[in-house]
Amino acid sequence: MGPATTWYLGVAGFLFGVGALGVLIRRNPLIVLLSLEIMLNGANLALIAFARHLNNGDGQIFALAVMAVAASEVVVGLGLIVALNRKRVPLDVDRLSSLRG
Amino acid sequence: MIYGAWICLLSPLAAAGLITLADERISRRGAGYLATLSCFVAFGGAVASLVGLLERDGGQRTVVSTAWTWITGGSYRSGFAVIIDPLSVFMMLIVAGVGALIVAYSIGYMDGDNEERRYFAYMALFVFSMLLLVQGGNLILLLAGWGMVGLSSYLLIGFWQERPSAIAAAKKAFIMNAIGDATMALALFLLIQKAGSLEFGILGGQYSSTVANLVALGLLGGAVAKSAQLPLQTWLPDAMEGPTPVSALIHAATMVTAGVYLIVRTHAIFEQAPYVADLAAGLGAGTLLIAGLVALVQVDIKRVIAYSTMSQIGYMFVGVGLGAYANGMFHLMTHAFFKALLFLAAGIVIHALADEQDIRKMGGLRHLMPRTYLVFLIGSLALVGIFPLAGFFSKDSILAAALDRGAYGYVLWVAGLAGTFLTGLYTFRLLFVVFWGEPSPFVREHFHALKDDFVGLWLAVPVAILAVLSVLGGWIQWAPLWHPIDTWLQTVAEPTVSPKSWQEAVSSALALLLGLGGIYAAWLFYGVRRLAVPRFAFPQRVLEHKFYFDELYDALFYRPTVWAAKGFYRWIEEPLVDESSDSLGHDTRDLGRLVARAQTGLLRTYALAIASSVAVLAIVFVAVR
Repeated sequence: MGPATTWYLGVAGFLFGVGALGVLIRRNPLIVLLSLEIMLNGANLALIAFARHLNNGDGQIFALAVMAVAASEVVVGLGLIVALNRKRVPLDVDRLSSLRG
Repeated sequence: MIYGAWICLLSPLAAAGLITLADERISRRGAGYLATLSCFVAFGGAVASLVGLLERDGGQRTVVSTAWTWITGGSYRSGFAVIIDPLSVFMMLIVAGVGALIVAYSIGYMDGDNEERRYFAYMALFVFSMLLLVQGGNLILLLAGWGMVGLSSYLLIGFWQERPSAIAAAKKAFIMNAIGDATMALALFLLIQKAGSLEFGILGGQYSSTVANLVALGLLGGAVAKSAQLPLQTWLPDAMEGPTPVSALIHAATMVTAGVYLIVRTHAIFEQAPYVADLAAGLGAGTLLIAGLVALVQVDIKRVIAYSTMSQIGYMFVGVGLGAYANGMFHLMTHAFFKALLFLAAGIVIHALADEQDIRKMGGLRHLMPRTYLVFLIGSLALVGIFPLAGFFSKDSILAAALDRGAYGYVLWVAGLAGTFLTGLYTFRLLFVVFWGEPSPFVREHFHALKDDFVGLWLAVPVAILAVLSVLGGWIQWAPLWHPIDTWLQTVAEPTVSPKSWQEAVSSALALLLGLGGIYAAWLFYGVRRLAVPRFAFPQRVLEHKFYFDELYDALFYRPTVWAAKGFYRWIEEPLVDESSDSLGHDTRDLGRLVARAQTGLLRTYALAIASSVAVLAIVFVAVR
């Protein structure tokens, strides 16, 4: 037996928090995407920890699905960033604010 | 007989539909031939109905043929039915017969007009509507025909739609007629409520005097509007903006006499409301005097004849208002002949003078167009009622009927006799001014004689036939010597007065003398110009303004309406409706601006908002559990 489930959840929450903080404060879209991935991984860790705690495989399957979604999301996100770069749009999320009311 | 009546009704409708659908696939003259043919077919159908009725005994001469149930509502039902009885056949013969002649005349008169097809489609539609009015087997169909003649009259008055005056006249006629239609509809609603049906038979039922008076008043409202009697008479002179054959057919021979027909058709209700019947006669007497006076100063050849039409219909109203139904109908018939003749002859004059209608520019046409002069003279003599032409027989028997009606009758009688003098005066003023004297410079310049070509032929033949009818038409009945029309209409409308022979004789003699007196006066003033035309500033101004009826209605109805509309706009629409919707818009926009501040466009704010809301939700969830 490894450490108790609480530790895993603690690490998961820390990862999620770091990711969220990155999304909120970083201006480079690349880093924002990276932070998103960290948030997803935090969530994945929580899922797997609970799966092990409850002796139930559902959580692991769910984590696999999240990874698949994360991978495709990265494809779209990186594609967008490349497209922005090719249009010579500065890579700064604060300046992409044409939806301002 | 029944088929004859249906053919009579539907053939003009078929012609109108065909001309409309065929559009340019039918030549312009072809449209004219088709319309004329359909009217003659209708006349044939009317004759067939007449023959069918003649084969029956007097008491069984009312046939109602129902094609299908037209309207049902609750216990009320009306069929699409035609009535074939002496009265409707009498009217069918006049409408289809005179109508066919006038439509034939139109082929010549309208030749070369840009929109002949539209004209002939309208004309056929009018003949159908008028036949529907007189043949309708119940009051609701009568009202349908009533409205449709109003519509076709509107279309034909405004036929020259590029003239603003024609459009204004058409609208005026339509609105005046709509007032009458509305009062008639109200009367019919009352009848439905009281009797539950609109068959002609229910008119003979017993009603309380209030109901009878109201229904009769409503019907009288319709009649005075359609027949251009006081107080709804002002549209008829303006209606002369239409083509001359239209004036002849609609505004002289047929449609404007519909009011007379209506009163005869619904005489049972008028007999229960004697005061309303007296009112009808009084309005007729008033109109015949006023129209006769106004005709004295008019300078438009068609307007003089139009006022004369109002005046003559006034006589008919006097007749039918007093209960002398057959006399009124007889005058309607002879009037259709000689008034159509006068209009068509005036049309020839107008045609020969390059569409000029102002009689001050005319003169001396007697030698230039002797045949037109002859028929115009015949029409004028028939109108004044000079023996042995048509008007003599019919007008005088109405006056005799007035004499048989006590004190009120004497008033009407005197008015009618004065009207006879006026008739002679204004009719022959017109004749002398237009035809006598030396040709005016305008005539010399613009006159071009009618040739014996296509146009001339189509103009001349119907006029000649009408001239013959104006001479002979009156001989059908010479009360009290022989009276087939009285007998013929007796089964439909039993007269309530029966003038004695001496009354007939006195009326005839006096009317003839006064008519001749009027002609003599006109001869002195306008024929040989032995006397200067007397000029009195005030009466003349009153007459030229047609007794200020237009001005009165303007002040009574038009201007208050405009003021009220402007007031509503100024004090209600602008401050309430406009302002409130404006401020509603402004406030919504301001609120939007306020909310829009939350939309920063910054990704992080959105993410923070989402994250913090999720956090709050999670805390609430945990706390509540």
